[in-house]
Amino acid sequence: MLRTHMTVTTIRQLMEMKIIPCFSLHRKLAGAVRWRSSYRQPPVLIAAPARALIDEQISIKGRFLPPHCPVTVHSQMHSEDGDLWEAFAHYNADADGTVSLTRDHSVGGSYSGCEPMGLFWGLQPAPGAREGLRLRKKNVETPYVVHVSLLEGHVSPSEEQSNELAAVTTERWYMAPGVRRIEICQDGVVGTLFLPPGTGPFPGMLDLWGMGGGLVEYRSALFASRGYASLSVAYIGHKELPGPQNKINVGDSYFKSAFHLLQDHHQVCADRIGIIGLSFGVYLTLRLATNIGVKPSCLICINGPVGSTIKLSDDDGRTENFEGDQKYWMYDDQGHVSFRAVSLPANLSPESKVKIENLTCPLMYIVGEDDLSSSSIENADLIEETLRAAGKSQLFTRLSYPGAGHLIEPPYSPNSRASLWSVKPKKLITLWGGHLAPHAAAQEDAWKKILDFMENNLRQ
Amino acid sequence: MDRKQCCVKLSVQPSRGLMDEKFIVLVQNVWPGFQLTVHALHQCEDGHSWEAFGHYAADATGTVNVSEDPSLGGTYSGVEPMGLLWSLRPVPGSKPGLRMRKMNVQTPMEVTISVYQGHQTEGFVDQVPLAGVLVERWYMAPGVRRIPITEGGLTATLFLPPGPGPFPGLLDLWGGGGKLVEYRASLLASHGIASLALDYLTPKITIETRKMVGIEYFETAYRVLQQHPQVFSSRIAMLGLSFGTSITLKMAAYSEVVKLRCAVCVSGSHVQPVDGSVEQILGYFHKNGGKTRFSEENEAIWRDLLLPIPTDSSLKVDVGRLQCPLLLVVGEDDQNWPAYESAMDMKEMMERAGNSHLLTILSYPNAGHLIEPPYTPHARSSFFRTVNTREKMMALWGGETVAHSRAQEDAWRKTLVFLRENLF
Repeated sequence: MLRTHMTVTTIRQLMEMKIIPCFSLHRKLAGAVRWRSSYRQPPVLIAAPARALIDEQISIKGRFLPPHCPVTVHSQMHSEDGDLWEAFAHYNADADGTVSLTRDHSVGGSYSGCEPMGLFWGLQPAPGAREGLRLRKKNVETPYVVHVSLLEGHVSPSEEQSNELAAVTTERWYMAPGVRRIEICQDGVVGTLFLPPGTGPFPGMLDLWGMGGGLVEYRSALFASRGYASLSVAYIGHKELPGPQNKINVGDSYFKSAFHLLQDHHQVCADRIGIIGLSFGVYLTLRLATNIGVKPSCLICINGPVGSTIKLSDDDGRTENFEGDQKYWMYDDQGHVSFRAVSLPANLSPESKVKIENLTCPLMYIVGEDDLSSSSIENADLIEETLRAAGKSQLFTRLSYPGAGHLIEPPYSPNSRASLWSVKPKKLITLWGGHLAPHAAAQEDAWKKILDFMENNLRQ
Repeated sequence: MDRKQCCVKLSVQPSRGLMDEKFIVLVQNVWPGFQLTVHALHQCEDGHSWEAFGHYAADATGTVNVSEDPSLGGTYSGVEPMGLLWSLRPVPGSKPGLRMRKMNVQTPMEVTISVYQGHQTEGFVDQVPLAGVLVERWYMAPGVRRIPITEGGLTATLFLPPGPGPFPGLLDLWGGGGKLVEYRASLLASHGIASLALDYLTPKITIETRKMVGIEYFETAYRVLQQHPQVFSSRIAMLGLSFGTSITLKMAAYSEVVKLRCAVCVSGSHVQPVDGSVEQILGYFHKNGGKTRFSEENEAIWRDLLLPIPTDSSLKVDVGRLQCPLLLVVGEDDQNWPAYESAMDMKEMMERAGNSHLLTILSYPNAGHLIEPPYTPHARSSFFRTVNTREKMMALWGGETVAHSRAQEDAWRKTLVFLRENLF
């Protein structure tokens, strides 16, 4: 029980000693005790911009808190599959009662230190979630809706109840307003083209992903939001493609058609097209640039091999099925599989190895040093060495990130160190590698450098 | 391919913002000193096209920043960060008497911002721009909930801010044109106030019974807000524009049920038969219809209908009775209502009654009647149909565009501060 004639000083001392929680006191004594006018306003939480692109920083601020008040900032969102992802961090308000995530340090939670976007890249599946989840947006035309709340005290939101002081909703978009999404099923090519708003013409990007297959659109959508006409292409594991879904049934002519499709588009600058590939997409990128006779202006390769990781079935680049040869698959003590050794240069199918020395355009190779899915360091070394021997070192830029894993993707989204790879014939979880904070830093830095590299090679 | 076209960069930040937020328009990678036109194009819900443009010269780094650099001509001049929006006007060849109002607040206003070579003034549609982007201007912040309200016979929409609440509440009233106008309430909810937009002249119940609502209608609306679990029942404000001011002042001064924490009255008057119903008050204005004047362009000027301000106390809300803070926003060039004269009379009444410490007046020279949230085009006149006349007439609202736009920006900011100070 509190006696209403307590002085303000005594109360503040008690608060500092954490004997009285700050807000319940405010509400109970509001009538009896005179507060400074700065206490009259209830706390607010502000996010700017509230509607942002995925690669834009959102500045989050709590205001009108009692000075030095401990608070928890808590983010929550549902993935398209309905899973709950959340993150939280502990802060202390300053003397003015403000918490600013662009300035202040988290003293605990999903991340520590000054991390303006930690509530987004630090998102993790909520307790009780299904195993092996990975956050990937399939429908890029709608935003991720992330709710952010300000809670009283330093709490773990999923474990304890806490007083919610304020909240704000943010929307994170893959497509800027006016970006057009066009499904492509032309000349045999299966893909999605994203065009920036306006008449153009625009520099172009061909966007290639890995053995996971399907059609991954979110990176292309972001490139278009940054002014590039970008074409994501499917080559395995897609129902519109010929043949069984566990093999690559399209060859060089397919990728050449995709490149030409972009080049011939009336809103694309034919002589300013780059190619980006992740994982197996790196091999495809390099093969396109050196063997097939198209002339990209620049290449970006992330964590992938210089040759095919699956035996080729013909000279045109088609392959056998992915599960065929498992001798290089390695399992940890939880039964999770690492594909890393498959792409060691010595283990790659020799006839598929790309002639790197034929490269004629700038190449940026990005390495996650904790990549457990691909032998990125070894492949990067091989490319670097080959180019040096050919007197072409000036074409090569290497970015290398300690603690980053295989999936170096657009920034501010959480890394999955491992995730579900397949369910048949049995459930298999694969290791990607990467630790949350360094991987997030790598994504942020790499993305900036990718955009600068594209700017310098496609827009100057 | 023209090198310039591949290289010119145009960005607008934020590309998705609230209607009352500023943006930064940046043009980069042109030659130093390059002359260009920044152009805005918008197609409103009625299908009409609106445009605005400014003429600029790039600096030594080949950049134009609309927030910092002066426009050398166009639909606005000087350093005007938001000129591309508030100076929007119907494209040549449009019908006269247009006014831009967003009725669907769940979708954004889309504006295409483009850069053209040289200092252009017309024929934009036929030219190829150097670059173009689309900007979205939203009336609802993410997480704001829109809830149609029909209980108690109301025709209303409640907008709730995101979060646990409780939130202060606000009743939002528009003027003599009727209809359910949501865009101000949705913006207020985006600023943390649970706001109820109320149609009180053309609600379903009036359409069906052909009878105008009584005072109980407003008291019901107040109760709906008061009893909502996420609304702070003792912190409810009322905001009225034009005829909405008449209702707001009546409720604030006389209602036993409606206990307002504060009130905001824009472009209105306290002149009305004090014991009159809504219908009777409208009848009183109509009776004075003979005082309507017409401008040279045949636009109706209705400000004289309530002039001179009566001395008879049965014809003016007794503002000396008010017990809550009152903010009056008036345009000195209001041609539709004698808002300025009314404000001066109210001030005098409150000084005599001893409650003038509650009164704040924001008075804007050269601003007209329609003082609305900022960064939308100014309508000096437009076609208008009041609920009691059947015909559409051109009403003169008044105001000079630059002064009016500045007034809107200033008044909105100060209104939000007033509401925060009194409601939170």
